[in-house]
Amino acid sequence: MRTYETIFIIRPQIVGDEYTALLGKFKQILADQQAEILRCQEWGTKRLPNLVKKQDQGIFVLINFVAANTVVKEFERRLRLDDAILQFQTVLLEHGLDLSASTESTDADEDDSDDEDSDEDEEQE
Amino acid sequence: MAFDKKSVARRRFGRRKGCRFCADSDLKIDYKDVRTLKYFVSERGKIVPRRISGNCAIHQRKITEAIKRARNIALMSFTSKRTIE
Repeated sequence: MRTYETIFIIRPQIVGDEYTALLGKFKQILADQQAEILRCQEWGTKRLPNLVKKQDQGIFVLINFVAANTVVKEFERRLRLDDAILQFQTVLLEHGLDLSASTESTDADEDDSDDEDSDEDEEQE
Repeated sequence: MAFDKKSVARRRFGRRKGCRFCADSDLKIDYKDVRTLKYFVSERGKIVPRRISGNCAIHQRKITEAIKRARNIALMSFTSKRTIE
C-alpha cells in the first residue's frame, strides 16, 4: 500500500449537483477498490495558464489516498474516460502524507499573478 | 575588466549566494506551491539555471522536477503569460 496524490481539473461548466455527483463518483471508484481517502481538497475554479482542451478555466480537485498500485491504474483509466475531466496527474508520495502541512490557498496565487502582469506591462512601456 | 563582467552577471537576478533550501530546512519544495517555484522561473517561463539561482545540485533537481509537474497539471505556464482580452 502506498500513498498517492491525484489532482484533476474538471470542466468549469460543471456546477452544482452535477459537480457533487461527479466528485462522489470518483470517490466511490476509490472506495470500491478499498482505497483509503486521506484528504480531498476542492480548490475551486482557477484560471489556467494555458488552454487545456480549449478551456481557459478549470475546477481543481486534490485527492490523497492510500492504495495499491493497481488501484491507481484503474482510477486513472476512469478519469481518462470521463469527458468532464480536462487533465489529471497522480504523484506517489514516498514519505506518506503529512496532514498538518496544508497547501497554500489558490486565491492568493491568483492575486500574485495579477501583480506580476502589471509589473511586466510597466517594463515594456 | 573581467571582474566587472562577473559582478554585472551576478547582479542580474539579484540573488544571494548559496542554496536557500540547504540553509533553511523548513523550506519544502512542493509542485503545488507555485509561489515558491516562481522564483526559479524567468519572465519567459524558463527554469533559471543553477549558476544563477544558487541552488545546490540536489535542490535544483527537485525544483526542476516540481516546476515540470506544476506545468503538466496547469499550475504554471510553459511560456510567458498568455494575454487574454
